[in-house]
Amino acid sequence: MKEYWVMLGSFGGGKSEMSLNMAVRAAAKGKCTLIDLDVINPYFRSSERGDVLDAAGVELISPPYALKKIEILSVSPRVYSAFTRGDGTVIFDVGGDHIGAVALGQYKPNFDAIPPEMLHVLFVVNPLRPLCADFPNAMSMLQKIQKVSRLNITGIVNNANLAELTNLEHLKMGYELVKELSEATGIPVWGTSGRPEMLEQFTQYAEENDLDPAFIGKLYPIEVMMHRSWDKFLNEGL
Amino acid sequence: MALKLMKGCEAIAEAAIQAGCRYFFGYPITPQNDIPEYMSLRLPQVGGCFLQAESELAAINMVYGAGGAGARVMTSSSSPGISLKQEGISTCAAAEIPCVIVNMMRGGPGLGNIQASQGDYFQAVKGGGHGDYRLVVFAPSSIQETCNLMQKAFDTADKYRTPVMILADGLIGQMMEPVELKMNPNPEMPEKPWAAQGYDPKGDRPRAVLNSLYIETEDLDVLINRLHERYAEIEKNEKMVETYHTEGAEYILCAYGTVARVCKAAVRILEEQGVKVGLVRPITLWPFPTETVHDAIAQESVKGCLTVEMSDGQMYEDIRLAVNGCKPCEFMGKAGSIIPTAEDIAERIMKMRRA
Repeated sequence: MKEYWVMLGSFGGGKSEMSLNMAVRAAAKGKCTLIDLDVINPYFRSSERGDVLDAAGVELISPPYALKKIEILSVSPRVYSAFTRGDGTVIFDVGGDHIGAVALGQYKPNFDAIPPEMLHVLFVVNPLRPLCADFPNAMSMLQKIQKVSRLNITGIVNNANLAELTNLEHLKMGYELVKELSEATGIPVWGTSGRPEMLEQFTQYAEENDLDPAFIGKLYPIEVMMHRSWDKFLNEGL
Repeated sequence: MALKLMKGCEAIAEAAIQAGCRYFFGYPITPQNDIPEYMSLRLPQVGGCFLQAESELAAINMVYGAGGAGARVMTSSSSPGISLKQEGISTCAAAEIPCVIVNMMRGGPGLGNIQASQGDYFQAVKGGGHGDYRLVVFAPSSIQETCNLMQKAFDTADKYRTPVMILADGLIGQMMEPVELKMNPNPEMPEKPWAAQGYDPKGDRPRAVLNSLYIETEDLDVLINRLHERYAEIEKNEKMVETYHTEGAEYILCAYGTVARVCKAAVRILEEQGVKVGLVRPITLWPFPTETVHDAIAQESVKGCLTVEMSDGQMYEDIRLAVNGCKPCEFMGKAGSIIPTAEDIAERIMKMRRA
């Protein structure tokens, strides 16, 4: 059976990280194609982890000239092939905010042709990012993204993180935010993602404090794959 | 502490707004596009104005206008765009217009590349525009420090009626770090009796004239002397520098911006190997903290100093002037946007030790 996953959300919210994790896991089970559809930011894209994807057996479709250090950001004609070919998992890693989601609009006829049970459109939320930090901003972002992507979001993801400084409080903030979003929109919470040790802490907290499992969803452990290459250089002086 | 995960460009823009900046004029160029983008969203929300100018030169002259009217105003660009702004920067300095200019340095010369660099030190510090003027230059090394310096930049610009530049490398603009922003809904704005805000013939305020053209030599001389007295005040009051493990060190590293953070990692590596190394990090590149640099390196324990830059050696000249021959100086440069590693720096110090 073929499955399509579309990752949407604010810039820097964790879409690429989720996409990479999903792709590597999906490739372990079958065929997987990751489409890097980010046409607004030349610096942080899932294509940068081409080595990891290659080793995992993920087929990667990048924008032409991606990683060539020039800015001719466009979408690859190969994207269409992902809608037509046989089985496997197809993951769309889309650019940030509603500006990045524009790149999806042109594929509306292709998405419309997919049976709803095969299409998962996730809105990845990180309340530690300034423009998606509270309900009004996150809600406005969600609506704008739905409008320009011409897709209905089917699930919300709590991906609260402050990079290496993430703690339980952040996941709690994320829980409150996705709960509010879910209640307001009727869109279910698909899951809560984070490093395994954070998820463990959060699960324990959720049990002790009777958090509603409906707003936690699936626990999705993240292995950090996106480069934060500056950490290598800048481990001092934060 | 309410930390947020912010990209440097976003944090700079938000910090400027918190410091009272309500006007932004700019023109797109990578790697600073996230600043105008953020400003275009946020400034209308706080009653400000964002305008994408038709060119860099137009943008800096809009800054001249807004600054001359007494507003807190900012522009940002990246290396080639900053070159285009130089005429306006010189004019702002001459007309004593307070304003803040952010340069998110990328590789040069020419169009260079879009990766991080420190190749604009000369341009910023030695005057990229023409004439006898100085630019106050802040060089932050983390996103948090950049935020903190934004308030200081606007305050310094107003206090001395001078343009102030934030000289950051592209790394600062593009990386994400946790930061705490001090939200300030009512930033304090100083009185600006000199500002051109409309002349009232019945009032007792003299006509505000903002000008950079002084045809009479004596008149220009008056301006230059006034500017130079002010620059002397800035040199006296505004130097900022960080020293790190310098006391009793065998070698001193000199670096600014993000490279200084790499140097801190090198200091730690060397300490683990039993070599005592310190770091001097100028935070103001002008006024340059000459005395602190000199005193750290002139210590009896110090055998020499190594300046590390993502350039072909620019701040190195000011380091050598500060050291003034009292100790051997060496330079380690990485141009072309290659970031030196802590291991490379540590190895170079070990080599200096063996020599």
